[in-house]
Amino acid sequence: MQLFLLIAVVAFAVLAVLLRDLLKAAISLAVSSIFLAILFFQMKAYYIGVFEISVVAGLITVLFVSTIAMTKGEGGERERKWPALVFPAFFILFILADIAVMKALLGKLPALAGEAERGGFSQILWGQRTFDLVAQIGVIFAGVFTVIALFRKGGSHE
Amino acid sequence: MNNFWICNIGFIAVMLFIGIYCLLTMKNLIKLFIGVEIIGKGVTLALVATGFAKNHILIAQSLAISYVVVEVSVVATGLAIIINTYRHTKSLDIGKLTKLKG
Repeated sequence: MQLFLLIAVVAFAVLAVLLRDLLKAAISLAVSSIFLAILFFQMKAYYIGVFEISVVAGLITVLFVSTIAMTKGEGGERERKWPALVFPAFFILFILADIAVMKALLGKLPALAGEAERGGFSQILWGQRTFDLVAQIGVIFAGVFTVIALFRKGGSHE
Repeated sequence: MNNFWICNIGFIAVMLFIGIYCLLTMKNLIKLFIGVEIIGKGVTLALVATGFAKNHILIAQSLAISYVVVEVSVVATGLAIIINTYRHTKSLDIGKLTKLKG
């Protein structure tokens, strides 16, 4: 099941790169996010699964689709054809190299599993990590102010 | 558990390859951003898969959520820059952004 989900994530990511229609590419990216979220649910990572579906598959896709709608016009460039034609050769080569490296690594790495965590998610998020959450609020405000600055009317450059 | 983690790392490497290929070969600004997003998905999967393998899924999730917050901010800013670029140049072709070229 998990292998199928991983393959689906990669397949839709490939589609998102190769499709020449931008809208279809953005929707492929969202579908890839949904499969990734299901994989997270399989790994019992429920919080990031919910974030992946609501924020990455939802909000970011809406941002992409609205950008595509706002930039559609006479200048809407279509991608060149050769990257899609050359891609399979590179992709197969990379997968072969990847499988060889992973096979070499199998059984050679030391055991990863550590002690089980104590406390719940909120205790870890708010108790163990404090200062970087303040930085996150700063990142959100930086994003908001940048978007406001980029879309304000009557700037000195216009 | 360890073998599942190695399998995940293999797929993460493939996702990074797809994203980097997109960044190197495409010329549409939105397509380039899609490449960045695919790399970001690989990073999120790496965080969660390693947390799952190490039995530290909660701390991995909290780090991944931080990354998602930063990702949203970056996407909003990047797409706003793309729209502004389109308004000025009437094109999304990265090859035509030559005004800052020395």
